[in-house]
Amino acid sequence: MTEITIDGLTKAYDASNDDGNENGEIIAVDDIDIEIEDGEFIVLVGPSGCGKSTTLRCIAGLEDVTEGEIRFDDEVVNEDRPRDRDVAMVFQNYALYPHMTVEENIGFGLKLSSTLPSDEIAERVRNVAEMMGIDDLLNKKPAELSGGQQQRVALGRSIVREPGIFLMDEPLSNLDAKLRATMRTELQELQNDLDTTTIYVTHDQTEAMAMGDRIAVLDGGVLQQIDPPEELYRNPENEFVANFIGSPSINLFDMDAEGDTLSGPGGFSYELDDHSVDDGPVRLGIRPEDITVDPDGNNLQISVVEKMGNENFIYGRLGTKEVVIRADASVRPEVGDTIGLQFDESAVYLFDSATGESIKTKTDEIAAPPSQF
Amino acid sequence: MHEKIKREALWQFGGYSFLLVVTMLMMIPIYWLVVASTLPNDAIFSSAGNLPRLIPGTAFLENARDLAARPNIDYYLSIWNSIAIAGIYTVLALLFCSMGGFAFAKYEFKYKRVLFIAILATLIFPINLLVIPMFLLVSKLGLSNTYWAVILPWAASPLGMFFMRQSMQSIPDSLLEAARMDGASEFQLFYRVTLPTMKSSLAALAVILFLSMWNLFLWPLVVLGEGKYTIPVAIQKITSNQNVAYDQLMVASAIAIIPMFLVFLALQRHYVKGILAGAVKE
Repeated sequence: MTEITIDGLTKAYDASNDDGNENGEIIAVDDIDIEIEDGEFIVLVGPSGCGKSTTLRCIAGLEDVTEGEIRFDDEVVNEDRPRDRDVAMVFQNYALYPHMTVEENIGFGLKLSSTLPSDEIAERVRNVAEMMGIDDLLNKKPAELSGGQQQRVALGRSIVREPGIFLMDEPLSNLDAKLRATMRTELQELQNDLDTTTIYVTHDQTEAMAMGDRIAVLDGGVLQQIDPPEELYRNPENEFVANFIGSPSINLFDMDAEGDTLSGPGGFSYELDDHSVDDGPVRLGIRPEDITVDPDGNNLQISVVEKMGNENFIYGRLGTKEVVIRADASVRPEVGDTIGLQFDESAVYLFDSATGESIKTKTDEIAAPPSQF
Repeated sequence: MHEKIKREALWQFGGYSFLLVVTMLMMIPIYWLVVASTLPNDAIFSSAGNLPRLIPGTAFLENARDLAARPNIDYYLSIWNSIAIAGIYTVLALLFCSMGGFAFAKYEFKYKRVLFIAILATLIFPINLLVIPMFLLVSKLGLSNTYWAVILPWAASPLGMFFMRQSMQSIPDSLLEAARMDGASEFQLFYRVTLPTMKSSLAALAVILFLSMWNLFLWPLVVLGEGKYTIPVAIQKITSNQNVAYDQLMVASAIAIIPMFLVFLALQRHYVKGILAGAVKE
């Protein structure tokens, strides 16, 4: 149960080496500010090399902080060793001790860092194992376990100490898709039950959207935006966030504005009704799910149709620009057909071509919930 | 298809036959050594035709008694000396090599690369070059004619450190970080997490270190006096007489093989695993 304040966090690596090659510094994390509330589930997400893992490792105490402060409940922890921070971490490769049994793995931290008597430790290990559904595996070695079981042991090891903060570094990425989905919900339930502040790193935006109370999107070591999932989806602050959040990714077109008319690739044009942009280049974004197919139109040549059962992904080209549409399963054009694109202005995003900043984001209504809710 | 299986079987048969022949060729001198140790001195060179004698005799115990009765050299004491020196050395060197290897494999520090190369570079100095300065050093320290005189100069074996570094590089960093998060101190990382996962490598290195010390000749000859001789030195003393007692020499050599053989036998399962460690990505 801890509040975390990250204040101007910067991490730079010295890129020069022993041989005297001065390559200067690499900035992995650049001046990040995040306030995390007690019990909150925060997801750090971004492409590889964006600084999300480094940020997590700084919070864990596994990396020194170059500049800025990390505070737990208003107490600066920059100089504290990992063991003094009351933090538990789950690693991508689980990092179980191969020579210890499951029981010893889970109890190792308690044995080292607490003064509990050994029968009390055994009791707590057993309780956690039961909670994680691995109580019948206590005498096995990690090598005898499946990936999912290893993951549960790793989680058990982190919760048994009842830490103030959980840090999770892509804990599900080594699991197959089905197990990942199961573990995702289990993790959420666990976090709900324990109500422990959690920071979760992933490169998978679906995982981020599904799990986070709030999501922090990072790119190039810079925090792009931190907001609840829906807010990120509907009101991205810039093109990077719009592009990163949502699957399949948003369609982005280079358009030329002249008055209210935007003209784009392959003779595609769009009339804006109640939004004005400066004349000149602008980027138009439209999510695949907001496009409807106009069978009589003639500007999109269809190249691939992926029939997923419940919905169809339709891929085509506008000039040289690839477009993806997420359509109802009943919409099933043939490859080679030419169709038209239709979408509401309320679903359109506009971004500054030069800076990527948002000019306009989604303003449409969120679909009304089904009546049984 | 059938042809292919036949050809493969033939290759396999050929391969095993070849290995068998080579193994036997390697074993012949050892076998002959054992046979010779059971023969009286004059019979060792009385050949059967033009071939050495290959059928064991019955004089082993007699030869062994004669060996014990030799003036000047207490051979059986030298066996004990060798076991003690090689044993203590192995334990100590394992400790130093694994600690050094751990630092080089898992920590970042200034001049790490330069230091590591410097340590490896010491391998190019032959022992002959080091004997005099090391002898002066050891005698100034007042260690002459003690076990420590033989053990200490080699205890931080560069080769062993290199071997342990290579093995320990295969330990994922996250394993150590997990232990740090669990509250382990840096030394606990070493002895509670790293060492137990390195059992095979440690066993392999133990065999290498034990054998290297067991076979060391020049240095013990220089720093040890009578009563402290190790086996190689004692054997050399036996052969340095004008009339070499080959029967006793053969018994001495045959006995000298046994502890080495036992060490290897005890650790051979790990030895193969340890030598292969890091060769394959698991």
